[in-house]
Amino acid sequence: MKATNFKVISRLAGDVVVLYPQGYLNNLAGESLVSKCNSYLSQGIKKVVLNFSGTDFINSIGISLLLHIMEGLKEGGGVLCFTNLSKVHSDTFEMLGLTNHMLVFGDEEEAFRYFDSGSSS
Amino acid sequence: MTIELKRALYNISALADLGKEITSEKDFGDKIQSVLYVIMGTFLANRGAIFWYEKEKRKIIPIARRGFDRKGSPKLKIRLGHVLPMKKNEPYSLADGEGTAAFHQFRDGVVQTGAEIFVPLWVRDEFIGLIVLSRKFTSASYSPEDFELLKVIANQIAITINHHMLFMDLSRQLDENKRLYEQMRRIYHDTIQAFAAAIDAKDVYTRNHSQRVAKYSVAIARELGWEESDVEGIYIAGFLHDVGKLIISNELLNKKEALTDRELLELRRHPALSYKILSKIKFPWKNVVTMVKHHHERLDGRGYPSALMAQDLDEGVKILTLADSFDAMTSERAYRDKLDLREALVEVKRCLDTQFDGKIVAAFCRVLEKEIRGDLPEPNILPHLGNDFDPTVITGLLEALIRELSV
Repeated sequence: MKATNFKVISRLAGDVVVLYPQGYLNNLAGESLVSKCNSYLSQGIKKVVLNFSGTDFINSIGISLLLHIMEGLKEGGGVLCFTNLSKVHSDTFEMLGLTNHMLVFGDEEEAFRYFDSGSSS
Repeated sequence: MTIELKRALYNISALADLGKEITSEKDFGDKIQSVLYVIMGTFLANRGAIFWYEKEKRKIIPIARRGFDRKGSPKLKIRLGHVLPMKKNEPYSLADGEGTAAFHQFRDGVVQTGAEIFVPLWVRDEFIGLIVLSRKFTSASYSPEDFELLKVIANQIAITINHHMLFMDLSRQLDENKRLYEQMRRIYHDTIQAFAAAIDAKDVYTRNHSQRVAKYSVAIARELGWEESDVEGIYIAGFLHDVGKLIISNELLNKKEALTDRELLELRRHPALSYKILSKIKFPWKNVVTMVKHHHERLDGRGYPSALMAQDLDEGVKILTLADSFDAMTSERAYRDKLDLREALVEVKRCLDTQFDGKIVAAFCRVLEKEIRGDLPEPNILPHLGNDFDPTVITGLLEALIRELSV
């Protein structure tokens, strides 16, 4: 499998931060996604959107890192939305039983509508 | 595709992830942290840790962890007595524990940390460490299939940690051997230097001569690009080249008047005597004994003890010859005054191709020039020559000699 450099781009929209993991989420470089998320959480940003449009591959290490993020937001009283998941990723999350514990949306707009509707508070 | 099949495929790919991490060339800390993430991702544990057992300290120490170090939560501490009764490489769940007093004590100590699954890691009869996992993020229970997979993973991790521990042991042993070797080397050098001081003490005019010859030889050899082990060899040869003088009488060594033919013959026995003494020693460096034996040979075949010609003399001999002669020229002798640096260089030039090799003289001149310019952090020659010379004149002389020899 080809190794790619993993990086995280972020965009702040009001009280919501959108994080764009770029590359394969399959090694320790993915810890930067966890620390970025924790950093926003510590600044009081509690609404987080993870947009996976730039993530082609997530393995067991990636799942573990996503669990850290989910656990951190749960403990910190935050809300996490997953968007732009490929079918493979959606199927994997479903098979693992994680979708019952996740908010999954087709794209960012849907996630923002969810936040605007006030359902998250 | 059924959910069971999808789950089986996920487990297989997790095992592949584990294999990839175990065989990666990452630093051990990163490797074990990655392995821990593979396990946590496979079983959806939100906390996890891998411990190893430090035999010498008899302590179980975490080498990778996530989640168990949260602020405010009790620290996860595992004692050897808790783990040893568990079955080797078998997952052990707090939920399924037996109701013994020891078990209750153990459970009460760790339950607050969120730890739920313990897998003691063993390789054959050796306890290696432990994997600890919390409950699953999804709150589902660990299934019998999970335990089977965890057993396979535990075996692989036990072997990986064991290999690393063996490697660490070897590295420690190697470091210790290196330290002992350095200690022996220092003792060896000190002994040789003490021995050389004894040689030089026989002749009041040659105090520290052996040390200077050793240093000059090292400077020339380095300038010629010798390997450091060979440089060390010529350093030792420099210190010991006159060891044969121990057998020559003090009266003869310190005689101020001209020597008779018989006395000259006696004095000229010292390189062969040095060889005889040193040939009993198995030096770890090459050519030490040869260099010592032939340090009074000349390129024109008029040297002693073997009257060898230029082509029969190796570079080490030629270096030692120049270093020895140059120090003799610039030192006071019983029978003559010392030459100043300029006079000594003129003498070296006069003896080119008969006594001294042009390549060696050029290297010597280059080192001296660098030392005068202050280019070398630790000069070997200049500190022994005093300050009684004009650097401009000497540099001019050295440059002219180097130019002449490069043609």
